[in-house]
Amino acid sequence: MSRLARYFRLLGSLARYTLGREMAFRSNFLVRVSVEVLWLGILIAFYRTVFARTRSIAGWPEEHYFFFVGCFFALNGLIETFFLDNCNEFAELVRTGDLDFLLLKPIDEQFLISFRRIDFGTAPNVLMGAVLMAVALVRMGWHFDPVRVGVFLVTFACGTAIAYSFMLLLTSLSVWMVRNQSLMEMWWLFSSLARYPREVFQGVAWAEPLGRLFTFVLPILLVVNVPAGAMVRVLDPGMVAFTLAATAALLWASRRFFQRALRSYRSASS
Amino acid sequence: MAMIEAEGLTKTYHVFQKKEGLLGALRGLYRREFKEIKAVDHVSFSIDAGEMVAFLGPNGAGKTTTLKMLSGLIYPTAGSARVLGFTPWRRDDAFRRRFALVMGQKNQLWWDLPAADSFQLHREIYSLPAADFQKTLDELTELLGVERLTRQAVRELSLGERMKMELIAALLHNPRLLLLDEPTIGLDVVAQVAIQKCLRDYHARRGVTMLLTSHYMRDVEALCSRVLVITQGKLVYDGPLSGIVERFGQSKVIRLEFAEGQVPDDLGRFGEVVRRNGPSADLKVGRARVAEALGAILDRHAVADVVVQDPPLEQMIARVFEEGRASHDAA
Repeated sequence: MSRLARYFRLLGSLARYTLGREMAFRSNFLVRVSVEVLWLGILIAFYRTVFARTRSIAGWPEEHYFFFVGCFFALNGLIETFFLDNCNEFAELVRTGDLDFLLLKPIDEQFLISFRRIDFGTAPNVLMGAVLMAVALVRMGWHFDPVRVGVFLVTFACGTAIAYSFMLLLTSLSVWMVRNQSLMEMWWLFSSLARYPREVFQGVAWAEPLGRLFTFVLPILLVVNVPAGAMVRVLDPGMVAFTLAATAALLWASRRFFQRALRSYRSASS
Repeated sequence: MAMIEAEGLTKTYHVFQKKEGLLGALRGLYRREFKEIKAVDHVSFSIDAGEMVAFLGPNGAGKTTTLKMLSGLIYPTAGSARVLGFTPWRRDDAFRRRFALVMGQKNQLWWDLPAADSFQLHREIYSLPAADFQKTLDELTELLGVERLTRQAVRELSLGERMKMELIAALLHNPRLLLLDEPTIGLDVVAQVAIQKCLRDYHARRGVTMLLTSHYMRDVEALCSRVLVITQGKLVYDGPLSGIVERFGQSKVIRLEFAEGQVPDDLGRFGEVVRRNGPSADLKVGRARVAEALGAILDRHAVADVVVQDPPLEQMIARVFEEGRASHDAA
């Protein structure tokens, strides 16, 4: 317990120092936040246009769909705030050998590498996503249901953990590849898959196996679908249980793989 | 008690051999050729608590690779090591709390923040009590004379100042073992001496064990009584610094200044003339023949001044390296 408390305290400190650093470059920060706001605006305008012509997309009516979009935006924001920069920088740490100093610290390597820098530029996305979800709930006349909220929170955390695990797996490859520009592209592919309802793969013969692949084998489609579905659609206990199991398995596997990768670290010459 | 025990430590790298030109690069895509390089080859030694030992060798000899294995950054291909009673590459937290590695070519401080912020983060990572931390920090900043610089962004510091901050960061958690890889590289003489002095004082105060690599013989002479010499991955000498002089310094240099105003032509008869400049010259003579040669010169010529000295340590070390290489090639 004291160990957990220590790591939470450390996370707080890392956040404080990175915020200090970010504020030293204030205009950069402001531009980034504006870009994110603009991006969400475009996304909303686009879906409003689509829903002006149709009642639902893959069985998701407008308000439900906006809840889904908000959920994706918040989750993606969370991942980008905590992990994207860190994972992206890992390849650079390997290439330059600066990883050395992180490995020398008396602290879990995975923790330090995953949370080293917190990217406050994307942190407002979490809030924007939450606001979008709240507005969607109000507009659909949603009634408060503690079970659904509880399941939503748990599966939202699972979704974040699944996304993080995939990212850690991709990141670990840098140890062997040294230059790992594919990471950003893979992440883009990942988030493109996660941002649409699972139902878009249904009803099209060639797409159905793909939908199953990305649900049960590489469970990217669970990330946003399960929390959003649990909140505004049918609460499917089987799917929730599968998500929990997949999360545990992926967290374990990605950690093992990361540790295996560190064993192969060669530490660039000084 | 042994702080470091290395037994048959070996590290082999497979290095990709890139072919020349575009065709070669394309061929490399499907068929890669690797070369096996033994960076460290069966190195064994032991270092006791409180010792200050220098690790010498030419570039690429395997010094840094050995240090990295001892600090647990990389896994050896073969052999074993115990450092502070731990197997370093298991990277136990208890092990990592007790030692520090300083690398002159890399920096661990946050570039855009003042060093003081990095120190604070360090305190939190090592869970150091605030009072102890402040005491050590005050002591170290005073020792290095950088009290006024800790609030300045690291990127605005000079190389020498930054190195001092790096050293402070490494010592904050009061390590029992300090590994230093080229700690004075690129520094001017003043900063070099300041770092040496700090290390010496710190060693005297805390009795910390140190193993350092350096290209500057001044560092070694100022700090270490024992040296390990490594060339091409193999340990070729382990003993006192003075032993190198005895073993490899078989000649001495006689610096002569002639009253006649010019160097006599027959000087070459007494030894090898290695320098000639106006009325003065350096004469290299076998250790055993110094008295005889000097007597003969003084008999024949009017000498205004004379100094007998060992050849520079750098030259002797170079000979140790060459000898190591020759025996390696012969084998």
